[in-house]
Amino acid sequence: MWQRIVRWTAMLLPALACIGSPQATTLVATVIGPDGAPVPQVVIHAMPVSGKLPATPPKAAQMDQVDKEFVPFVQPVQMGAAVTFPNKDNIRHHVYSFSPAKTFELKLYSGTSAKPVVFDKPGPVTLGCNIHDWMVGHLYVVEGPWFTKTGKDGKGGIDLPPGEYLVKVWHPWLKDEPAPVRVKAEPTGDLQAAFRIVLTRPPATTHDKR
Amino acid sequence: MKIHSLRARIIVFFVMLLVTVQAVLFVLVSVSGRRIAEQVIGDELVTGERIFGRLVVQSTNRLADAARLLAADFGFRTAVATRDVATIASALANHGQRIDASLVMLASLDGRLIADTLSGDPIRDAVFPLPSMLDAARATGRASGIVLLDGRPYQVVVVPVLAPTPIAWVAMGFAIDDRTAADLQSVAALEVSFLSRTADGRWTLHASTLPPQIRGRLASRRGELEGMSRLSSMTLVDEEYQTLVPVLGESPEGRVVALLQRSKREALEPFERVRAILYVLGLASLVFTVLGSVVIARGISRPVSRLAEAARGIRDGDYTQKVRVETQDEIGGLADSFNHMLDGIVGRESKILRLAYEDSLTGLPNRARFREAVRDGLLTARRTDAALSVLILDLDRFKAINDSLGHPAGDDVLRIVACRLRETIAGTDMVARLGGDEFAILLHGGMGDYVKEVTERIFARLREPIDLDGQPVDVGASIGIACYPTHGEDPDLLMLRADVAMYDAKRGHAGCATYDVRNEDGRRHHLSLLGELRRAVERDELSVHYQPKLDLRTGGIHHAEALVRWMHPERGFVSPGEFIPFAEQTGYIRELTRWVVARVIRQVDEWRARGLEIRVSVNISTRDLMSDDLVPDVEREMARGGTPPGLLCFEVTESGVMEDPARALATLDRIHALGIRLSVDDFGTGYSSLAYLKKLPVQELKIDRSFVMHMAEDANDATLVRTTIELGHNLGLEVVAEGIEDEPSLALLRAFGCDQVQGYLIAKPMPADRFEAWMLERTATAAPPPALPDLSLPRTRLSA
Repeated sequence: MWQRIVRWTAMLLPALACIGSPQATTLVATVIGPDGAPVPQVVIHAMPVSGKLPATPPKAAQMDQVDKEFVPFVQPVQMGAAVTFPNKDNIRHHVYSFSPAKTFELKLYSGTSAKPVVFDKPGPVTLGCNIHDWMVGHLYVVEGPWFTKTGKDGKGGIDLPPGEYLVKVWHPWLKDEPAPVRVKAEPTGDLQAAFRIVLTRPPATTHDKR
Repeated sequence: MKIHSLRARIIVFFVMLLVTVQAVLFVLVSVSGRRIAEQVIGDELVTGERIFGRLVVQSTNRLADAARLLAADFGFRTAVATRDVATIASALANHGQRIDASLVMLASLDGRLIADTLSGDPIRDAVFPLPSMLDAARATGRASGIVLLDGRPYQVVVVPVLAPTPIAWVAMGFAIDDRTAADLQSVAALEVSFLSRTADGRWTLHASTLPPQIRGRLASRRGELEGMSRLSSMTLVDEEYQTLVPVLGESPEGRVVALLQRSKREALEPFERVRAILYVLGLASLVFTVLGSVVIARGISRPVSRLAEAARGIRDGDYTQKVRVETQDEIGGLADSFNHMLDGIVGRESKILRLAYEDSLTGLPNRARFREAVRDGLLTARRTDAALSVLILDLDRFKAINDSLGHPAGDDVLRIVACRLRETIAGTDMVARLGGDEFAILLHGGMGDYVKEVTERIFARLREPIDLDGQPVDVGASIGIACYPTHGEDPDLLMLRADVAMYDAKRGHAGCATYDVRNEDGRRHHLSLLGELRRAVERDELSVHYQPKLDLRTGGIHHAEALVRWMHPERGFVSPGEFIPFAEQTGYIRELTRWVVARVIRQVDEWRARGLEIRVSVNISTRDLMSDDLVPDVEREMARGGTPPGLLCFEVTESGVMEDPARALATLDRIHALGIRLSVDDFGTGYSSLAYLKKLPVQELKIDRSFVMHMAEDANDATLVRTTIELGHNLGLEVVAEGIEDEPSLALLRAFGCDQVQGYLIAKPMPADRFEAWMLERTATAAPPPALPDLSLPRTRLSA
């Protein structure tokens, strides 16, 4: 799964880099665990201190169901984005969410990619499958276009226009969100932000994949 | 305590053995029974605990399944997500009912109570009452336990409502109450109680299967549970319970414990039953053992006592009791042997009795038996005032028969006589053989016709000649009679007196004589003398005196008569006239004669050695003549010193010869053959015929002193003496006169031609040394014989 996440990240990064040109500065956030190991799949989100967001149309996103798992496990999306949930398995899935950011349910058949769901409120959206209890996926709906997700190396880069930003990280297993890091994007030079986080894997339930 | 009876010992042994074994068995069963029961109780309690654990797991699973089912319901999740409290509450109630849960609650992730079936209306924003369980569920995804809620115990499971991550918590629980306890009791067969202890140390009894009053007692004593060990004993209302206290749940709200109890009495009940059976069994076997050993012991001891009794009977002479043989065992064998032994004893005793009381030769009763018969007869006679006679019968001349015809012939004679006597005697009278040729007869009658008649019958029968192999033999008998009560009152005296009377009869040739009391005194004196006479020889109280005989033709002394003198230490001089006849009567004379002969022979040899040749005369009694031992004895004595037989002269009396002439003659012939001179003593006193005298091989005749002593005064005596002297000379015999006491008699005798004289006038009898001295003195003085008047009577000799 992680390989896929990495692959997807690799595909996205050049795209983001193109968006941020020409005067943009790249923020490289590094997330490590308590042992210093890099932590992947961590959402990194930068909010301008001014609160002014560009009117960038949100990009559509996609949450696949592959082999009775949500892929990717964590997917940050921009508020207002339409997310599709293609069922790549040849069995039924019943994707739902009771999260306050977005409550919906999709009864999906094999291969169906139903109408995209538009997430118009920021916040985490936990996805589940009513048929397969162990299937858990997380959408993180953020405001603005400046967000990304750490790769295997625990790093994620965001091209930011000059300005001051508050950088936050998010992960579904994150117990206590670390304090946001304030960065100032200059026209030249790179920005660095480092986060040390502690992830707590939720207790195993009987709803394990079988 | 010492037990002597065999029976008691057997019984005591078996009973004690049994009691000991049973006591040990009983103690073992009791102790081990109790121990086993306690162990069983312990095991049951542990098993109960395990079962309880499993039940808890089961109901936990039930709760968990139900709760998960509820949490997984999409509609319920929708309701939870949308906080549709009414729907939530109804869903909780609905699912709770399915498994009969006592409580179902829904808590928010932050520990707020969303809905609750227990308190009905959910209080908004109320806090979930089991935060500790919620914490546990957060940590592990699910929680279960037995907890106190509102002071009451519940078994509660908490599971998350997943969407798909937890969005709320569902708690579902069963109240722990009497029903729970009853369920557990039905499975584990234990008394079950549930108690709780709140954080402030208060104990509460919530549920119990115990009977109400015991339950009440437990409730009042619940404080004791503090610090109680896991496994212990507890007594509630007289009922002892082994108690196991597993802790079911421990939470900040308090602790819930179970009280698993097993009544010891109940558990011990099977063992009590076994014990009761053992009791009964023990008593029964004790009774049977006592009875059995009594029977067995009696089987042994009764025959043994019977044997002992029979043995005592035998000791006392009762042979009629036989031991009854009842069994085939060893005792029976013993009794059998005992009876055989008894038979043997009876047989042998009768044989001994026969030997003891019967004369083997004639088959007649013997002396002992006769004596007893006399004694018994006397007892009866004394009682009935009857008279009794004892007869002693002695055969005459039996010795002659024995000697001439041999002992077998003598035995035949005795048998025939016995047979005839038996035929003569009838009824209760008895004939016995006392020994030798002596018989005794017991007659039931006194002096008179009956005894006379019987004696006559006896004599008549004995007169019949006895035929011994064709040779007729005559036997005569002398009978002495003694009667009760006239002659004595005891058997021995009667027999003795009859014996005395028999001797009288024999001496008097009277055939039959009755005891004469007048003879008694002298006899008694004689009897005592006999013993003393025997001792006299041993003590050297006897001595031989010598009385010289004067040879009237030569005036010398060449002969002497040996006379026995007895110097009794107390009585002094005992006259020969007193003891010689007695010695003759008792037969002791034989020893006496032999002693005198031996003494005389030695004396003669002594004198001869000193040049004194004296012929010594010795008196020989009738009994000596009848004895075959005399001649060899004399011969032996003479041979010792080489004594010339001519220096010995034996004087025999007429009567002695006449008693058994043939026999006397035989002995005399043998003496004569030895060369010993023979003299007829006391001539003139008997009734012997001259013809008989002629047959005797004698060389000398001795005129009895009774004629000589008075011849000087009595003309008749003088004539008789002269005639005798002439007669003797005519027969070629020398004549000796004894008892010369005066000179006139001597003169007469010299005148009559008497050859020798002897008497006090010449010399008294003297001991050997004095005699020798006297002789020496006489020859030394060479004194002529005292001057005797020469009567000038011509010496005539009768022609033979």
